[in-house]
Amino acid sequence: MIKRFKDIFVSLLLIELLKGMAITGRHMFSRKITVQFPEERTPMSPRFRGLHALRRYPNGEERCIACKLCEAVCPAMAITIESEQRDDGTRRTTRYDIDLTKCIFCGFCEESCPVDSIVETRIFDYHGEKRGDLYYTKDRLLAVGDREEAQIAMDREADAKYR
Amino acid sequence: MLSPAALQQIDREVAKYPPQRKESAVMSALRIAQTERGWLAPETIEFVANYLEMPPIAAFEVASFYNMYDLSPVGRYKLTVCTNLSCTLMGAESVAGHLKQKLGIGFNETTPDGKFTLKEGECMGACGDGPVALVNNVRMCGKLTPAEADRILAELE
Amino acid sequence: MAQIEIDGKQVTVADGSTIIEAAEAAGVYIPRFCFHKKLSIAANCRMCLVEVEKAGKPLPACATPVIEGMKIFTHSEKAVQAQKSVMEFLLINHPLDCPICDQGGECQLQDLAVGYGGVSSRYQEEKRVVFNKDFGPLIAGDMTRCIQCTRCVRFGQEIAGQMEMGMAHRGEHSEITTFVGRAVASELSGNMIDLCPVGALTSKPFRYSARTWELTRRPAVAPHDGLGSNVALQVKQNRVYRVLPRDNDAVNECWLSDRDRFSYEGLYSEDRLNKPMIKEGGQWRECEWKDALEYAANSLNLIRQEVGAEQLGALASPSSTVEELYLLKKLMTGLGSGNVDHRLRHSDFSADAYRQGAPWLGRSVASLQELDRVLLIGSSLRSEQPLLAQRLRQAVKRGAHLNVVHVADDALLCRVAHKLIVAPDALAQALAQVVKALGERAAVDAEVQPLLAGIEVSETARSIAASLTTGENRSVLLGNVAQHHPRYALLHRLAQEAARLSGAAFGVLGEAANSVGAYLAGALPAPGGLNAGQMLATPRKAYILLGVELERDSYNGQQAMAAMQGAFVVALTAYKHRAHEFADVLLPIAAFAENAGTYVNTEGVAQSFRAAVAPRGEARPAWKVLRVLGNLFELDGFSQDNAEALTSEALGNTPLADKLGNALRPGMNLVLDKPDGGRLQRIGEVGIYQTDSLVRRAASLQKMSAAPRAWMHNSLLAQLGLSEDETVTVRQGDAAIQLSAACDDTLPAGCVRVAAGHEQTALLGGLFDEIRVEKSKGQQQTAEHTPS
Repeated sequence: MIKRFKDIFVSLLLIELLKGMAITGRHMFSRKITVQFPEERTPMSPRFRGLHALRRYPNGEERCIACKLCEAVCPAMAITIESEQRDDGTRRTTRYDIDLTKCIFCGFCEESCPVDSIVETRIFDYHGEKRGDLYYTKDRLLAVGDREEAQIAMDREADAKYR
Repeated sequence: MLSPAALQQIDREVAKYPPQRKESAVMSALRIAQTERGWLAPETIEFVANYLEMPPIAAFEVASFYNMYDLSPVGRYKLTVCTNLSCTLMGAESVAGHLKQKLGIGFNETTPDGKFTLKEGECMGACGDGPVALVNNVRMCGKLTPAEADRILAELE
Repeated sequence: MAQIEIDGKQVTVADGSTIIEAAEAAGVYIPRFCFHKKLSIAANCRMCLVEVEKAGKPLPACATPVIEGMKIFTHSEKAVQAQKSVMEFLLINHPLDCPICDQGGECQLQDLAVGYGGVSSRYQEEKRVVFNKDFGPLIAGDMTRCIQCTRCVRFGQEIAGQMEMGMAHRGEHSEITTFVGRAVASELSGNMIDLCPVGALTSKPFRYSARTWELTRRPAVAPHDGLGSNVALQVKQNRVYRVLPRDNDAVNECWLSDRDRFSYEGLYSEDRLNKPMIKEGGQWRECEWKDALEYAANSLNLIRQEVGAEQLGALASPSSTVEELYLLKKLMTGLGSGNVDHRLRHSDFSADAYRQGAPWLGRSVASLQELDRVLLIGSSLRSEQPLLAQRLRQAVKRGAHLNVVHVADDALLCRVAHKLIVAPDALAQALAQVVKALGERAAVDAEVQPLLAGIEVSETARSIAASLTTGENRSVLLGNVAQHHPRYALLHRLAQEAARLSGAAFGVLGEAANSVGAYLAGALPAPGGLNAGQMLATPRKAYILLGVELERDSYNGQQAMAAMQGAFVVALTAYKHRAHEFADVLLPIAAFAENAGTYVNTEGVAQSFRAAVAPRGEARPAWKVLRVLGNLFELDGFSQDNAEALTSEALGNTPLADKLGNALRPGMNLVLDKPDGGRLQRIGEVGIYQTDSLVRRAASLQKMSAAPRAWMHNSLLAQLGLSEDETVTVRQGDAAIQLSAACDDTLPAGCVRVAAGHEQTALLGGLFDEIRVEKSKGQQQTAEHTPS
């Protein structure tokens, strides 16, 4: 009986509404935390797992030796590799494709790579406009690597001491 | 490839073993061939192998295993200085160093005139006479000193 | 028997067996590298060290015989410590380049390093590097990875019969090498790749193309020799990447000949026929299956109606499956023609009417190893049946006497007790000598007796006879050269008599993968039908060719090509080859690995297999093509849905063993003529890598195959006024080719050895017929041929 009168009293005086307004009022004058993407960006870990890249050695030679460990470890089976002996006798890929629509960005490929060739960069804002755009071939992956090498190298450097 | 005299020598060695075990004579045969040809060229090894009816690679295994067989040309006189422990304790290093300096060559090298080759040898079983050196695998010189080495060199000149 | 204890388990093993064998029996695995069940014991890797009670130090399990009451601990602290220490030493100089190593994933060192290796090495010094050597087109060597187990060396010495690899130098500098950078030439060399426990010896054709874990194993049967080696095809994305042996002690043990191992490369030759083709007005055009089949059926029907069914002929390759051969025979029977044959390289068919069963080995393959006395007639065994040669080698090592009657003195890589090397036309004479010598101890059959009159028995023949009458297990074996010989029936009869007189098993070595199966499937002329020789000698109006490359697969390529001119030819073929020149319809068929079927090996064992990959292009299995042809001709009994149904139909329900038999029925008209000394004869045996169309297109194997030359005895060279390496003109019939002359003093006089099956020698005449050799008059042309 007492509870019922209490409920009526609270409803009539719009107490709940005032509580809500109080929160709104408090936030109105506090510091804004919304990030204005893409002009603004949140800080990122060097371990961020975004778009993949294939790296090269400083002399321009591609790192990948077609060991296919990334292909084997990939839980989404997103990587396809074909290999052969290049004319200079080294083991090289003739095809290195990552289907980003399959990829789950687990980072296993990067972990398994014995030569730090396949890496995941900080890039996450990429898109495709037509079918096949998210099917990254060796050339495109190498191009990402070439473009981002400075950042990639810095990130590996930063993370090296924890590994 | 080998002279009749050398072949005769090999035949004598072969005769020491049962007829179907001709290859048992491979070490002697290689030694005889090396004495005659100066060193064991692949063709020489193959000749010996064919002569003893064994695979060439088997003869090559033997020739490459023992370091008294020379698989590359050597000078007229091959000086093999023992550098194992006993000889080294008795001063083999100074003798070897003296020889190197005097001949102007290092180990496994031959003087430009093709006269001397210097080699580093393993224990020759004459530690009591250390330091020892072998000349052309046959003549052993013991109790070497730099002066003694000079004397031997002069003698060979 | 000895009672011992391994890891607390009581085991009873035979006296003299080693600890590793005993452990295997007890189901305990002891790590090992150098030990291999088929090779001698070397005990040089030390990986199998185990603790034995009362022994001071750990002992190598592979080299320690068990003794009564021995207590062995394979996983005790001491044993494991010893094994781990050995592993640490092995890894000191190992490059650890697993990511680029083809052995990665199937590497024993890798596997055992997981169990016994440390996390990191204590070795800080520089590792040793061994420079790579070139071992030829089949084996890639990365010798830094070698752990000196010497399996490859022992394989060469003990199994291949020729020591090509050896361990040079000593101690830390020791390395496995061939003699001054020579290529490995053995016809069994590929087994070294399997034997190598690390990635030091890997397959060159397979190099870097796939990882072992990507490959699926599909069982199959090797298609090249009569042995029918059991193989595993390693397949990825519908492509055969490599071929490995499957263990089967009754057939190939754990070995595989290079021909069976590397021939898969031929599947991906540029020369593959991918679409059906029809020749119209002299122009080839690709077409649909339906059009091609209808065109073929209609044209054949028309010819049949116009000139009669006996003007149709069917020639099949003995490498075709039982099912294909059976359907071909059925098709021809349905069309009313008895002209079917698979024996294209044979030249003497006169024994046909007297045959009682399918010619076979006469004993089991495995029992060849237990032979005590062998007479090998007309066989270049190492190139015909590389693994049977290996079996005989093991027998000889055990003490067997191997006697040879042959046309060339090729090294069998084992001790040959006695040999009679004679010209082809004297082969029967030589064999008759042996029979006559045997006849001195037992009564010769009345049918053969008249042949022996006037035969002078040589000392060697007498020795062979003497050898054959001793020992327990004996065999007389007839090889390919004898089977292709123009007097095959006579040779067969004489060999049969030699076997009977000496109490030996009589065997005919199966020429191709399915030679025995072809007999069983009935790919033979029906009574009144023409055999292969007759079909080509008296040209037919139309031919159906099943998997044959006629110019290189027949006894007389020149004659075969002439027969094709003007005939309507339907070629079921996996390759384009020369059929382009003479055929009218080309039907692409599935090759090895793309086809389900059955091969019956030389021992008479049927081995069925399934398709491992889809056929290339629009090719279809030949049995399906033949079935559709049967339907187009509106014949009965062409409604099989699968190969299995066909197999049971083709082979019937009676045991195959009942249908085998080498003995000829009496009553044959036998004449033994004197060798005609006046003319030069060709010795035209088929080269090891020229046996069938698949091998001929395997690029790496072809690099191992020497170009054909005109080999002859020194005296013949001098007589003809030729010098070695000179280019000479070799003529047979209308064909003339340029070859370089070569000297081989082991050849009999009056013979020129020109290998068959090569593109270059395809258009020469009969394999053992007359040949002419003359100085070249500066002709530039390599081959000229005018169809007669």
